[in-house]
Amino acid sequence: MANILKTSFLSSQGDKLSTLNAVKSAEIEVQTREVLAIEGEVKIPYYSFQVRVEDTQSAIYKVLRKQVASVIQELTAAQRAETILLVGTSIIDWNIADAIESTKELYASKKLSIDSYAKELSEEFGLNGYTLTINTACTSSANALLEANNMIDAGVYKRTVVIGCEIFSHIMSSGFNAMQLLSSSTLKPFDKERDGMVLGEGLVAFLLSCEESPWEIKGGFSNCNGVNITAVSPEGDEFCEVMEKAMASAHITQEQVTALKAHATGTPSNDLSEINAISKVFSSDVKFTALKPYLGHTVGACGLLEMALFMECVDDGFVPKTLGFEQGENENYSPMLENMACKEGTFMMNYFGFGGNNTSVIIQKKQV
Amino acid sequence: MKLYVKARSSYRSDLEEISIKKELKQKYKLDTRRKDDFIHAGILGALRLQEQSEVHSCDELYLTSGVGNCNIVQTAKESVYDNKEIMKLFDFINILGNTTSFYVAKALGITAKSLFQISDNFTYFHSLINIYASLQHSKNEAVFGAIDVVSEDISIIKRVLGVEASVSVVSSVCYQKLSLQNKDAQAELEFDTIFYSLDEVLAIIKEEDIQVICSQRCRALEGVKPLVFFETYGASVVNELIEKQENALFIECYNEKYKILKIRAKV
Repeated sequence: MANILKTSFLSSQGDKLSTLNAVKSAEIEVQTREVLAIEGEVKIPYYSFQVRVEDTQSAIYKVLRKQVASVIQELTAAQRAETILLVGTSIIDWNIADAIESTKELYASKKLSIDSYAKELSEEFGLNGYTLTINTACTSSANALLEANNMIDAGVYKRTVVIGCEIFSHIMSSGFNAMQLLSSSTLKPFDKERDGMVLGEGLVAFLLSCEESPWEIKGGFSNCNGVNITAVSPEGDEFCEVMEKAMASAHITQEQVTALKAHATGTPSNDLSEINAISKVFSSDVKFTALKPYLGHTVGACGLLEMALFMECVDDGFVPKTLGFEQGENENYSPMLENMACKEGTFMMNYFGFGGNNTSVIIQKKQV
Repeated sequence: MKLYVKARSSYRSDLEEISIKKELKQKYKLDTRRKDDFIHAGILGALRLQEQSEVHSCDELYLTSGVGNCNIVQTAKESVYDNKEIMKLFDFINILGNTTSFYVAKALGITAKSLFQISDNFTYFHSLINIYASLQHSKNEAVFGAIDVVSEDISIIKRVLGVEASVSVVSSVCYQKLSLQNKDAQAELEFDTIFYSLDEVLAIIKEEDIQVICSQRCRALEGVKPLVFFETYGASVVNELIEKQENALFIECYNEKYKILKIRAKV
């Protein structure tokens, strides 16, 4: 299994340190953005970057570049040449949109796709040249992490940079709004009064390798199992499968999970399935929390962004409480309402998204 | 690294004149509503594969494409940005790459891992490497689909692919059932992680002494080249060689970097 050597991220609360401080103080900034709706443009709560990043190729490349530079800066040229790059994202492929718009005959030039960001980053930083961009909605970057882990575990590559990316998009926001999945107020994961998700932006990079690190990927599992394109069953059996198989791959039992980071979108149906699944897999003393009230739902980036924030909090000595929760539907299973002192342990990271894609990753912080 | 092909299916728009949607409705009795041409093409290839080989719920599904679903990005851009209209709900859902893999997984009864992934210039090769690494871990088998569907306005896909205006671009859907085990295999695929230079490729060609098939991007190489273009041509080459029971080296190129796939399908 691979170790997590470095992480770097930018969230709506700022860089890694600013975000950690925001979590510790529980003072979270949420902005608003305008999106298209049947009744015209409406304002929705949104976890925006403090400095706006436009939804264009050049702006996205610029911010991705900074995150990648941050995690590879100490690598030698030879080490970079054996480092591959995987991306998990659900952003719209503006390379295609630009080709649609173009009036020029751009034939016989560059071939473009959603993976072009990775290709150009790989070329600019002298990385190996192997790139792969995975789009599995909310599980995109978690799945990219598991695939990167597989490549290192199989001995195919020595080192991997994995990126998660989500930028404000009118298409995504108006789409989720049209599906009536967005909250009009605040995120209330697992709460009886929850009324939907609040979207957010996130950029994150991980560096993985076999080299020693306190943080290790212990296992994980991903499935594609939904009753329809947007949901699993209310009983949450599809979520149970990924959690159980992830623990089996890590050779652990539920008693050995120090804490669980739930996906917890704040939507009525997804949270219901998830709390039912947690109650089937874990005993009632399980400690679980939700990080979307701090970061928003960063869709394709949430797999890595929430994991990076969780790791940062544990490195600082705690697992953060769940904001926005007052009363749940299952009285025996409530998310943490106070921060929990924690410096090490084994942790489950859950991501359950559209398209039936569900992913659970087990990470561990070893005693230093 | 080696993977073995246990079954395959192919569709090429230049070789078959069919309406995919009609085929799905009439032959496979499939509900085609709420899905677009890209998803329909993906499902057709998958169902054709299922006719050749049993697909298990624990098989892993990997879908790749040269550029993905061009038409849906165009629809999204026009409605939201140009016309300031809300997208139709199912257009929004279909714009997510994994919507295609969801419907393909459902059609095949797969409930295990399902990924939609693109690697810009070597998407077929890089997916093979990813599948190899994943199967080493899981010990499962994989269903691998390579889907390229031309855009309604053909000039758009040519600009995205970066090919010359005169190149004939076609739709292609090729599936392969892949395994680490050679039992009952139709072909062996051998590949590595190396990006070769032209000189290295020429030396390998000389040494191997078998037929060489190149993608249209290999301008500096002599060998069998297709008259049409699609990014996942390698997948089609594999299926054609199995059909003919022949061996070959397939070579792909971009920016003077070459990848080599050894295909052994001769009985």
